[in-house]
Amino acid sequence: MGLTDKPRASPEALLALANREGRGRLKIFLGAAPGVGKTYAMLQAARVAAQEGTDVAVGLAETHGRRETELLLEGLRILPRTSVPYRGRMVQEFDLDAALKCRPELILVDEYAHTNAAGSRHPKRWQDIEELLDAGINVWTTLNIQHLESLNDVVQRITRVRVRETVPDANFDKADEIVLVDLPPDELLKRLAEGKVYVQDTAARAVDNFFRPNNLVALRELALRRAAARIDSDLLERMQGGGVEGPWAAGERILVCVGPDETSSMVVRHAKRLADMIGAPFIAVTVEWPSSRFSEKQRHRVTEALQLAESLGADEVKTLVGTDLVDELLRYAKFENVTQIVVGRSRSSWLAELLGRSFPHQLIRAAEDIAIHVVTPVSTERRSVWQGLEWRSLSKKTSLAFLWSAVAVVLAIFVGRVIAAAVPLPNVSMVFLLAVFFSAVQFGIWPAVFASVLSFLGYNFFFIAPFYTLTVARPHELLALFIFLGVAVLSSAVAGRAREQGAAAASRARATRRLFEFARRLSSLAEPQTVADSTVAEVHRDLGLPAVILFPQGDDLVVTAAWPPEDQLGTATMTAARWAFERDEPAGAGTGTLPNVPWYFFPLRASHGRVGVIGIACGGKDGAELDAEERALFETLAELTATALERSQLAREIVVAKSATEAEKVRNTFLASISHDFRTPLASILGSATSLIEYRAKLPDAAKLDLLSQIKDEAEHLDGMVRNLLAMTRVEAGALELRRDWIDVRELLDRIVAFAKRRGAVQGFTVRTEDDLPFAPADQTLLDQAMTNVVGNAVRYGGPDAQIVVEARRVGDDLLISVADDGPGVAPDMLPHIFEKFMRGKDLGMADGGEGAGLGLAIAKGIVEAHGGTISADSHVIDGHGTRVTLRLPLGTGQTL
Amino acid sequence: MNQTPRVLVVDDETAIHRFLTPALMANDYAVLKAVTGAEALKRIATDAPDIVVLDLGLPDIDGKEVIRRVREWSDVPIVVLSARDREAEKIEALDYGADDFVNKPFGVGELMARLRAALRHRMHRRGETPVARVHGVEIDVARRRVLREGEDVKLTPKEFDLLALLTRHAGKVITHKQILSVVWGPAHEHDTQYLRVYVGQLRQKIEADPSSPAIILTESGVGYRLADTED
Repeated sequence: MGLTDKPRASPEALLALANREGRGRLKIFLGAAPGVGKTYAMLQAARVAAQEGTDVAVGLAETHGRRETELLLEGLRILPRTSVPYRGRMVQEFDLDAALKCRPELILVDEYAHTNAAGSRHPKRWQDIEELLDAGINVWTTLNIQHLESLNDVVQRITRVRVRETVPDANFDKADEIVLVDLPPDELLKRLAEGKVYVQDTAARAVDNFFRPNNLVALRELALRRAAARIDSDLLERMQGGGVEGPWAAGERILVCVGPDETSSMVVRHAKRLADMIGAPFIAVTVEWPSSRFSEKQRHRVTEALQLAESLGADEVKTLVGTDLVDELLRYAKFENVTQIVVGRSRSSWLAELLGRSFPHQLIRAAEDIAIHVVTPVSTERRSVWQGLEWRSLSKKTSLAFLWSAVAVVLAIFVGRVIAAAVPLPNVSMVFLLAVFFSAVQFGIWPAVFASVLSFLGYNFFFIAPFYTLTVARPHELLALFIFLGVAVLSSAVAGRAREQGAAAASRARATRRLFEFARRLSSLAEPQTVADSTVAEVHRDLGLPAVILFPQGDDLVVTAAWPPEDQLGTATMTAARWAFERDEPAGAGTGTLPNVPWYFFPLRASHGRVGVIGIACGGKDGAELDAEERALFETLAELTATALERSQLAREIVVAKSATEAEKVRNTFLASISHDFRTPLASILGSATSLIEYRAKLPDAAKLDLLSQIKDEAEHLDGMVRNLLAMTRVEAGALELRRDWIDVRELLDRIVAFAKRRGAVQGFTVRTEDDLPFAPADQTLLDQAMTNVVGNAVRYGGPDAQIVVEARRVGDDLLISVADDGPGVAPDMLPHIFEKFMRGKDLGMADGGEGAGLGLAIAKGIVEAHGGTISADSHVIDGHGTRVTLRLPLGTGQTL
Repeated sequence: MNQTPRVLVVDDETAIHRFLTPALMANDYAVLKAVTGAEALKRIATDAPDIVVLDLGLPDIDGKEVIRRVREWSDVPIVVLSARDREAEKIEALDYGADDFVNKPFGVGELMARLRAALRHRMHRRGETPVARVHGVEIDVARRRVLREGEDVKLTPKEFDLLALLTRHAGKVITHKQILSVVWGPAHEHDTQYLRVYVGQLRQKIEADPSSPAIILTESGVGYRLADTED
């Protein structure tokens, strides 16, 4: 089919095709019932394919000992099965890993709907096949129509057999090819009678009437219809993919509302059938109150129904949270442009039904422009009105509530007496009403009922003649009791609801605030490790379950953070974590992959890929499970964390890049300054030399001599620079070797100043030393170099008019040498850096000259420190300007060299 | 030259002045000195030197800026002293109106040759040369004729414009940008590939040995210059 050259191909259809690229093709041999010859047909087709040169392997084929089927296997490559321990015996199962390893072009795996022995990687065989397809291996498999999820209850109704092994419709619909293996019921019955049919499903075998002609006809019709529908949709898809105008879906959208009752799965299946019928997508939702009192069992049912919807190919599966079921549902339906809503009829009492207050009734009343389907259950589980009201043990809190109710009634008696004494009141019972109302609003229904009875007794005892007796003289006196009870029930219901809503709103606000705070906290964390640590702590705090985060390291995942602390996970758990990370889908407890693992793993997805996996311990033997709200919270936390992790990783990369840039900049500065610093003396030498060569005849003798001495000076200058560079390298490498000698400091300073002057320093110099200055134990050459650099620095940055004072004196056991100038000084923010490499006083308006390449003071520091001394600088030392550099060298008195 | 030409040397390095002064004096120049950009501007304005030797790395004002400001009111020839690794700066200086450049470190002989060429070029500008002769090629800009060993050379209009531009500035470096802007228009300032093609063609037509050109000289990475004309 030419895809590219045809016009107007629907994007969805093309996308679907593109998604299939690189994926193996799935062919399903579909039959109406066991024994129609699916395996036989599949093996026959496989033989043909093998003869045509296809690399076929038989992963698993159930021959059930039938000769003719076994014969077909001959000559085909058969992969060994694996043995899995199951309930004390070994069960032969399909070896998924072996199949993935040998990678045939086409693999046959019988029984698409098979349930794997517990402990296998996937609970279902269709999941094994999914993995094979993902790996790009073509798969052929077989399936009976009754195993198709959406037809499950239809089949049950027809055959009265509950089929437990089912395949999601989505997978069936995704199959690339469906081959219908059809056998008329009569022939099937004949084969059955001949014993040629092996019925694997024990439940089916147990029920004799599964193979009744009527059933077989019905099942066959189902299979035929389903296959025909497949052909229809194939056709439609090709029309769209090929850009052919065709019938398009009418824009219908179905929403199925899942409740906690038994019918929910049925309702979902109904919705799916309806969706298939009109070719519309469907969405499954459930609505939860933050404080909805679903039992464990009910929660489980909701989760199950939602998972069912997902496996049936629901476009979206969502948990809505709200206080009003109907409002929330309709709001969402409107948002999603839903045209039809499917709900089940139940969860409401006969009373509500009678009053038109049942959920379907309310929905129908409130809905606008939406069709409502109400699915009726086969057998309704009627709940009595009392069932919803749970007897709770009399905890301390509840006994207090009863006590307070009693107090309220006593108070009412007292007030009633006072009022009755003061004014003639026709009916004092009003006062008791207040007490009942108070109890109802404050403590709920049971304390209120208790208060009603007490009030009745009190009223009767104190206010109805004959007084101080508990006799009911006239029937209408009983009326008070009923009124009290009525008020108790109604007002406690209203108050309870208000309380519930308030609590819900508060808990929602709390949850939102915590999420917000968590997000804010994460945003302030810079390190991935701290982000991970604070996330696991938060998960543990919010959900009360152990949490763990794993980051990829090398080829594997490593536990990075866990709360409570943990650094090892079991092998199976690690497998689930790896699965979640590699496949970018949840794994472990409550999912289709490794559900036996007591952890639920969720990938941490960032914009450029996965950054890790977060896991939470649930679904283990302790029975802790996440409900929809908790799961949503967990996933939200995971998303926040992934974003924070990505941000911190990016921040880290920026820091690395920045320091690399910084290093690059330093290197460039260094090279530029070195080359410039070498060039100037070289220019002098070259210029002087060429002048002498070319114009020696024309030059006066004095000029010739000057040029020659310039060559000498500049050569010395170059030598000094080379020495500085070498010294710096040695200081850097820590290879500065001291050859100490006794040094006459005065003589040293004079020499340095003379050298500076010879080098063209025009500044005024003063050298001051104490008369009895001792000799200093130092390395002559190195100290010369350090002082040359310090003085050279003063010359360079002091300016031509500066006065430079060089001073040496003894302070304690140290020798202090200072070099001060009265130049412009160093900016305070530059001062701490002047002993760093490549720092130069550019801001001083000097040309980028000087021999130091910004190394002079750094070298001086290195040399002084090698002598065990220190070097420091002060600025603005003389009348707000000038700079002073001070060297402090230990004299080491009493010490020999 | 009827009088001693006066040269202003602008450099902040005393070492440069120290060797340039005797060398220039030996070549019959009167030497003026400046160590900063501001001082240079002042001396050019007050002393009106015949030629300026300018270091680009000045402590106060950037050398290029000095050129820009001088060019606002003076066409005194400027020879730039520049570092080899600051190619871009050099080209900018030429674009701003510097006449030539010498890379540091340099031989004094080279600098003197550049100074002579710049001075001579300045004369030419004053008294337009109708016909230029260089290595046996005669370029008559006014009549748009080129003769090689007496033979007429056929040039395309663009080739001629290019040659004429170089001839008018004989001995001086013209940057790629300047040539492109004058010959092809300001929109083509960066299309140096045109230039390479046309210079190649021109050399084929007028050079004795196009593989080692003697008339149109390449200033690598900067531009082209026509060899000194024979007056």
